[in-house]
Amino acid sequence: MRRLDHIGLLALPGLSFLAVIFALPLLLLLLKSFQIDGQFSLEEYRLFFSDEYNMSVLWRTLRVAALTTLLALVIAYPTAIAMSRANGIWLSIFLVAMVLPMSVGVVVKAFAWSIIFRTRGVLNDLLMSLGITEAPIRMLFTETALIIGAANVFLPFMVLPIYAVLRQMDSRLPEAAASLGATPVFRFVNVTLPLSLPGVVAGCAFVFSLAVSMYVIPSLIVGERQQTLSMLTARSFLFLRNEALGATISSILLIIAVSVVLGSSWLANRLGARS
Amino acid sequence: MKRMTKGMLSRRSVLKGSAYAALGTLATPAILRAQSTELVIGCAGSHTAWMEAVVIPHMKTAIGADILFEGTKSSVNLEKMSSNKDAPYLSVVQMDDPVMIQAVEADLLTPITADAVPNMTDLRPDAIHMDGMWCNYVQPWAGVAYNTEFAPDGVPSWSSLWMPEAKGQIIIPSLQNTEGMWTLFMAAMLGSGKPFSEAQYEIDAAFAKLEELKPNLLSVYTTMSQAFNLLEQGEITMLAGSFSSYALPRKAEGAPIDLAAPSEGIFAMPSGICLVKGGPNPELAEAYVNEMLGPDLQSAIADFSASVPANTTVTAGAIIPDGVPIYSPDWAFVAENRRDWIERFDKLMAL
Repeated sequence: MRRLDHIGLLALPGLSFLAVIFALPLLLLLLKSFQIDGQFSLEEYRLFFSDEYNMSVLWRTLRVAALTTLLALVIAYPTAIAMSRANGIWLSIFLVAMVLPMSVGVVVKAFAWSIIFRTRGVLNDLLMSLGITEAPIRMLFTETALIIGAANVFLPFMVLPIYAVLRQMDSRLPEAAASLGATPVFRFVNVTLPLSLPGVVAGCAFVFSLAVSMYVIPSLIVGERQQTLSMLTARSFLFLRNEALGATISSILLIIAVSVVLGSSWLANRLGARS
Repeated sequence: MKRMTKGMLSRRSVLKGSAYAALGTLATPAILRAQSTELVIGCAGSHTAWMEAVVIPHMKTAIGADILFEGTKSSVNLEKMSSNKDAPYLSVVQMDDPVMIQAVEADLLTPITADAVPNMTDLRPDAIHMDGMWCNYVQPWAGVAYNTEFAPDGVPSWSSLWMPEAKGQIIIPSLQNTEGMWTLFMAAMLGSGKPFSEAQYEIDAAFAKLEELKPNLLSVYTTMSQAFNLLEQGEITMLAGSFSSYALPRKAEGAPIDLAAPSEGIFAMPSGICLVKGGPNPELAEAYVNEMLGPDLQSAIADFSASVPANTTVTAGAIIPDGVPIYSPDWAFVAENRRDWIERFDKLMAL
């Protein structure tokens, strides 16, 4: 027990750093959202939730984050399966392909997507040359473009947790099911998928938390006409100079993110225990 | 051990030496600060090209200053000044007049005086504001930028923005950007039918007219470079409220764009320079402002950025289009109402 205590001290630098740089400012922000002229008040929250525009922004933020998470999951799951079965040079190629794009700045990626989505861009040219569309379709400054761009940026955060879980899975389990006559679909639904759920939950928590608070990607891909909570926060602090409103929106974002992390952690524990 | 302490080092001398070293280390930043030739300037992102090409080399030669600059929006500069009011790190800020008014109200500026900044005496009288709290240095003019491949005949009128043929082809600046005001004021003129002097206060008429513009809007920008990129690529045909210091240098570089001066009128961009109250290196900061207002730098910046110099001894710079009125709005009215307008504008333009 005593030895454990000493090992626990190793976390002290990290915890201290997070406490000073992260937790304390967040606490101050949270307190500020409950204060008007130094008095405790819920007025800012009442004002925020009673404004139809704010509610539409909140709904859009949640919808975009959920759809981004879903799209990332659909792309990431097969990729993670392929990675978990790869070895040697192929595994290295997969890992490099996943990790290397993370070194490219998010601004660069967002700009790249804005070029691809243009009316006279690569994607429209491809669709027309394949005969799928007859004329260019408007993709830039649409929610679809935002979801595709965000899913691309956050994809590694979905792939890697699922890959980590699948890699640790005993590969003999699906084989045992096959030897008992289970079809590939049955093996996937009843063996692989349940065992990989903790990774799926962790990946979804990562991507949803990142997507719900993204700022640069929506700013560049959809602009000011489709604001998200992060854009409203920046506007409140920098342009409206309304710190109380900015703190309130930040706190709402924080509550959403913490709820997702705690909920997914609980779910992952349950799923892990069951599997 | 004894020989060593006697002949070379004693425990006390080691402690004393360590104490001096620690004191010296702690004092070093202050000493370096006192002797520093470094000046941190807040400016607009669109200033980057001429700050790097013209101002930084000039300041090193003329006053021996090493210039660091942070290019962002005027309102962000104001927030930086306000947040660091007790320990400012910016010495000089170049930002727009309506935000200068807010900075004066927040007691963030120190006046520019002719004693410390002699070149101030050569400025046009209307370039000095609130008894020298800030001055205009160069002023670009603003109209409508357009893609020359799609609109070879230019943009004769601001009402072209509202034409049905322009559906989905327009980008306008957000009211978070100063240049966003030009579309608002022109909408007020077109919507109310009144001359600018009266129309600038007809904000309800302006918002009603702006609502009619929504079908033609592809987007509303806060990042100007991205909007220009889309204009140059032909993704849009017109960009409202653009100014000469950005559009005309891009045209000169070969981009297929031009800046129109529509018949209803153009606007004078309110580019101001101020001294930050309590900012570091105050004497060097005054020398910087003096150079910015002097004939050499005024000529160089005005030529580089197609702007109108504020120094009356300078003849270089942009040629103001003939035959169109130039407007300068009541910035105090703007400063007083801008926050409400931003909220109203965002709600109106939201999809």
